[in-house]
Amino acid sequence: MRNKIAYDIGRVYLAILGIVAFSFGAAEIMLSITGKELEWGILEMSGDFLAWRGLILLFTGLFYMVSIKNFTDIHQQAKAVMASVMIWIIAGMQIFGMIMGSIPGGEEGGWFSSGENFLAAYSAPYIPSLFLLPFSLVVIYYIYRLRRSEEREREA
Amino acid sequence: MELTVDERWDLIDKISKQTITFGRYSHTLKDAIAEITVKPLTGIPIAIAVMYGFWSFFGAFAGFFTDGFFVKIFDEHWLPWLQKVFPGEGGFLYYILVGDPTADNCFEAFGMLTSGLFVAIGVVLPAIIAFYLFLIIMEDSGYLPRLAVLIDTILHKIGLHGFAIVPIVLSLGCNVPAVTATRTLETKKQRFMMATLLAIFIPCGAQLGMMIEIIPGYVGFVMLYLLIGFFVTGFVLNKIIPGRSPEILMDVPPYRMPTVRNIGRKMWMRVKGFLFVAIPFVMLGVLLVNVLYWWGVIDWLADILEPVLSAWFGVPKETVGPLLAAFLRKDLAIAQLSAIEMTTYQLITSVVLINLYFPCVATFAMILKEGKEGGCKSAPIFLLGSLATLVATVFLFGGLLHLIWIILGVA
Amino acid sequence: MKILLMGHPNVGKSVVFNRLTGANVTESNYPGTTVDYSKGYMRLEGEDVEVIDVPGTFSLEPKDKAEEVAVKMLEKNKKSAIICVIDSVKLERGLYLALEIIEEGYPVVIALNMWDIAQDKKIRIDIDKLSSILGVPVVPTTAISGEGIKELVSTIRKAAPVEIGRILKRSGVV
Repeated sequence: MRNKIAYDIGRVYLAILGIVAFSFGAAEIMLSITGKELEWGILEMSGDFLAWRGLILLFTGLFYMVSIKNFTDIHQQAKAVMASVMIWIIAGMQIFGMIMGSIPGGEEGGWFSSGENFLAAYSAPYIPSLFLLPFSLVVIYYIYRLRRSEEREREA
Repeated sequence: MELTVDERWDLIDKISKQTITFGRYSHTLKDAIAEITVKPLTGIPIAIAVMYGFWSFFGAFAGFFTDGFFVKIFDEHWLPWLQKVFPGEGGFLYYILVGDPTADNCFEAFGMLTSGLFVAIGVVLPAIIAFYLFLIIMEDSGYLPRLAVLIDTILHKIGLHGFAIVPIVLSLGCNVPAVTATRTLETKKQRFMMATLLAIFIPCGAQLGMMIEIIPGYVGFVMLYLLIGFFVTGFVLNKIIPGRSPEILMDVPPYRMPTVRNIGRKMWMRVKGFLFVAIPFVMLGVLLVNVLYWWGVIDWLADILEPVLSAWFGVPKETVGPLLAAFLRKDLAIAQLSAIEMTTYQLITSVVLINLYFPCVATFAMILKEGKEGGCKSAPIFLLGSLATLVATVFLFGGLLHLIWIILGVA
Repeated sequence: MKILLMGHPNVGKSVVFNRLTGANVTESNYPGTTVDYSKGYMRLEGEDVEVIDVPGTFSLEPKDKAEEVAVKMLEKNKKSAIICVIDSVKLERGLYLALEIIEEGYPVVIALNMWDIAQDKKIRIDIDKLSSILGVPVVPTTAISGEGIKELVSTIRKAAPVEIGRILKRSGVV
């Protein structure tokens, strides 16, 4: 019975995450088709490969949403895991790019970047995937717990 | 005593019944993930994400070393210093080793110690390392064979099968090991097609690195053009070459965590190969081209070939030099292009021409060797076939690109 | 005496080879890495013995060039002992090749590689029974982590040609 509640909470969470990721993806694709960029507070939708990132996020959202049905089936859980992995790829590469971009001094400066420029490389705005990153980690933790409890059940 | 095939299987059946028991086995998460990465509906989006990851990693990693440090080292320190201290400006040795005394960057100087070193170490080495790092992780984790399964249907249309993805991906690093890898394909026809298509259409890691440096905004376009060329040519070759393209049963290994030790070891072996083989070739290339310039051979060739180059391909006659250098090292040739005055569209055409044009000498030797392995009789046919395909595609796809520019009104 | 490593593609022959010889053959997680053969030496009871990593082959009737190389290597080295590397998860398929080699009269040792994965999949193989039916040494190995390699080496000397008729008898076919 306890599991039933855990499943339901998980499904609602995945549904919301899926809708958000899907909308971000759709928005990015629309922007890139119309050739526009968006900067809104700490959120930005711009840069190279905008359309590709949008497409991947769109699929991520779909994966999350599709996984809700029959969530006890391991194949459905695998979809949620892979959706999270896809977010990590985009977000991870973005962070990697930030780190790589923050170190050299640039054309005018010295060999290495000054403290100020170094920090500026990490400042907002960020792309949507970076905001989704922590929420996708929750999915992995949730599925990990779910597997553990299922295993224990089977042994009992 | 030997058994027949059926007897052997009967025996195995008997033995396994007595020795193997299967426990209750429920699918693990790993199996489920393995499954959804090969099913097209879920597998293709994942493949897109992985490719995106590869491309961003490549750009960030190579950009960090090349634009962040090497450009500065070579253009602001190494080149001015060499130009100042090297004796005999205007002389033969100066021309060969340092190049143009007025150049302010290492692409344009074109001496062995300036452009030669910069291209090999400053641009190509970081690109090669980035590429192999990603490739090795894809290999060792077990993702690469899954990509093969995914792409199987598409490759069947051109008479190849999914496993052809292995030589294709390898050749994005270097065409030489890729040609060796074609050996895993079953028939002579498939091996010939793959080796030829690879050598013509797939740019190697060194070329990719140079392209990102020289025409950053158009690399995607060039790749797409080459990819279309790859499939169109593959389709035609499949129709005209006699022979079979049989189905293959692929064995997909389980996902595994790559070990740092194995990654490190493979990385070193491949980078070592680059350091000891490619760098001497780059140097030799600069030397040869410079000597030919010095003797006026290239200017002479440029005048002779001008009608073909400007009328058919729409590129300036000076591209003869890079096209010659392309036989030794294609990355070098692209570097040399950047020093020639022309429009962006002419530059793109020239880059595509260098891609399509004659495979670099190392690949050429490898194709020759693979042709020989198929029996002495087929070696000349293998080679001539490859060459014929090459000449046809260079003129066709080079001219077509020129036509596209004319239609767009930019040529 | 020479030792040939044989088996299907992608069962970890190259890994076993590296473990035996300490050589640097790169292992990849996809079939067909070894299209050429590689040679190395291992210490066997204080003696240097040549080890050859043969390209992967499904049977002794070759279907592609890598397999052709494999069959030729086997024919060329009549006096060698064979370590037949089998994927424990696909024992039946691996046994086919092993039987073919045994029928040709070579002394064989069987390495049941990827033992860890078979365990994960809850596949249990009765090693002693298998060994006694076949009359050849059978050793479970997980080459990637090095488990079982030492035992494998120590059983190589025990390998002797087996008459296929006796296997038939022991398995109860005849």
